[in-house]
Amino acid sequence: MDERKDWHLTDALHHEQGRGDPFAAAVRATRMPMIITDPKLPDNPIVFANEAFQKLTGYDREEILGRNCRLLQGAETDPDAINAIRTAIADGGDIEIDLLNYRKDGSAFWNALYLSPVRDDTGDIQFFFASQLDVTARIDAQSRIARQKRHVEQQVEKRTADLQSALDAQKLLLHEVDHRVKNNMTMIGSILRLQLREVSDEDSAHQMRAMMSRIDALATVHRRLYQSDDVTRFDIGAYAVNLAGDLVRAVTDRDIGLVTDVRRAEIPAGQAAVLGLIVNEILTNCVRHAFAVGDEGHISIFARAEESRVLLSIADNGMGSTRRDQPAAGLGGIIIERLSKQAGTQVTWQTDASGTRADLTIKSEVT
Amino acid sequence: MKRCAGPLKFLVVEDEPLISMDIEMMIADAGHQVIGTAATLDEVQAMSQEQELNVALVDLHLARGSSGFDVSDHIQMRWPGAIIVFVTANPSEIPEDFGGAHGVIAKPFSSAGFVSAMQYLKEGICDPPPVSPQPGSFVASKAFAASWGAN
Repeated sequence: MDERKDWHLTDALHHEQGRGDPFAAAVRATRMPMIITDPKLPDNPIVFANEAFQKLTGYDREEILGRNCRLLQGAETDPDAINAIRTAIADGGDIEIDLLNYRKDGSAFWNALYLSPVRDDTGDIQFFFASQLDVTARIDAQSRIARQKRHVEQQVEKRTADLQSALDAQKLLLHEVDHRVKNNMTMIGSILRLQLREVSDEDSAHQMRAMMSRIDALATVHRRLYQSDDVTRFDIGAYAVNLAGDLVRAVTDRDIGLVTDVRRAEIPAGQAAVLGLIVNEILTNCVRHAFAVGDEGHISIFARAEESRVLLSIADNGMGSTRRDQPAAGLGGIIIERLSKQAGTQVTWQTDASGTRADLTIKSEVT
Repeated sequence: MKRCAGPLKFLVVEDEPLISMDIEMMIADAGHQVIGTAATLDEVQAMSQEQELNVALVDLHLARGSSGFDVSDHIQMRWPGAIIVFVTANPSEIPEDFGGAHGVIAKPFSSAGFVSAMQYLKEGICDPPPVSPQPGSFVASKAFAASWGAN
């Protein structure tokens, strides 16, 4: 390298401030790559480039001086960045920008460029001063992080889409199965009713009506299942009121009213069929045995949800009897006794002159 | 105001023969008359123009891809005074305005539920407004209550 030219350059650079300026010496020696261009010369050529700049770009001073800075640009340099620099120079403003530059050997590096005009006392631009910094490591890290972020985001999107479609498929399946179960329940009911029409003796008809009533109770359970937003829960109180309404309307030889005090009382959907059958037996018992033909009376239903249990009470104001302080005889009794054990439900009976009452304590959480 | 001279005339549109038979018999038990059954829209369209109709019970999913909504539209065009009740396992598919139909009986229905729905329908058609409370088995659309003021 030609030291004499260096000195000459320093002279040229600071011709207005005089020779031997310590600041000029600092600029020459700093590790920060720096250049100075002269906009008064054609094509704003580089008139000074320090040691660090030569090291960064791989060009010797002779190869740089007199050239425009665009010699650092290459195929992948962002044209928008170049335009921004051009505009700043044309406007006499400063600019700070990261752009992709190329060394003499063709290798690329990210250049954090800072460029600003140097003005004289009258405000005219004498030079442009530019410092460069190789920030390839930072940009690479950034783009690696951005790439990783994109990758993770894509993965999350894909998984979310997979989950969504699995959920949609499951909903569709639930809907389809629910539809089929309901249709089949309807068909079972229809077959039983049609069969009942063929039965001639009263005892068989009685048996079939009892069967019909149990199938109807299950039908009511299935009709009410999956109606709320939470398909895992079943409101046993609302079901009891629905079923009781059907039952009392179906008896024409007695006038039975309904008194209800029912709040949301949800049990796991898996218990719905079993508890639906129990409630049906209790209600049927009230409707059939509490009132004599021609009687007036009422059945009251009370339902509440407590912390982890549901309380359901079914009472009538009909005739109490010592026989009725326990579950009914026959299959009805067996259903209440056996199914309540299965459903973690306690049933207690009270009966006196004012009527009969069954209190159900139902575990409302699956354990 | 009493409106019905004789038994109500029913059309049953249902593609399951056993369910259709069962419904026909329950209608007859309630003292009404079934003037026709159909399993598809075509069969409803093929019915005689002259036929009088008071109530149509219409399943939503019919045979050979027929839709109960199309049947409902057709009935509204041909028998503008008829009361249309969907009988379906998919009540959630019914739009809020019921597409002009008058109500729904959800499947699976119970014997008692179906009977009380019939009773309520009869009261609403023959001697509105119904004296019985609306049973849990029957959900009426606004069009049903609107029909009470008609005629």
